Amino acid sequence: MDTFDLDVRRGVYSHIVSAGGPPSVAETAVTIGCSADEAAAAYRRLHDAHALVLFPESLDIWMANPFCFGPTPHRIIAAGRMWTGSCAWDALGIPAALHTDGLVESECACCGDELELEVVGERLVRGADVLVHFVVPARRWWDDIGFT
Amino acid sequence: MVFLRSEGHLHRWLEATGFEPGATFPVTTLHDLATLWWSSRLDPEWRPRSVEESQAILDRVGLQGEFWRLA
Repeated sequence: MDTFDLDVRRGVYSHIVSAGGPPSVAETAVTIGCSADEAAAAYRRLHDAHALVLFPESLDIWMANPFCFGPTPHRIIAAGRMWTGSCAWDALGIPAALHTDGLVESECACCGDELELEVVGERLVRGADVLVHFVVPARRWWDDIGFT
Repeated sequence: MVFLRSEGHLHRWLEATGFEPGATFPVTTLHDLATLWWSSRLDPEWRPRSVEESQAILDRVGLQGEFWRLA
């Protein structure tokens, strides 16, 4: 990953943290000071490198893990915002990435009953009896990241 | 990568979905993994992690064995 792509990625994540959502290609081009075509090409390379996930057939950012911008059952309240996590792992990753406390509001995959987990001072202080299940082996996580 | 209320819910979910069982572990382990995996994600000096570095994190929280091999 070259310096330009790292700059684009850094700009994307900075925008997410400050604005609560991902920047468009045009916004990133302005931030970085490059053309929209150059920003678009960087988005595609970051997607191919698994540093971002774009929606299919689109340049819109679906995931900048652990942050997700499509619907999932995982909501996280942290740093004064409501976030969405791609999966159970990412849900707990958002307070970790932001280095802040967080409340995860999610559900049991079986019955849909609400589950709450709370992180305070990097410690899980609520929901510690919940179980986690990974269906997909690690080697195949990126075969279909939306399913994973 | 889902949350489940209990072992009973896990078994019912696997039956209902038809998924082959994967790996089940306590959310406390996932919290440890999330902290190690994601805490550097917003660092200005972030660089992609190597497969070996990622594997070491999985090993460190006790997620070991064929299911957890990244490559």
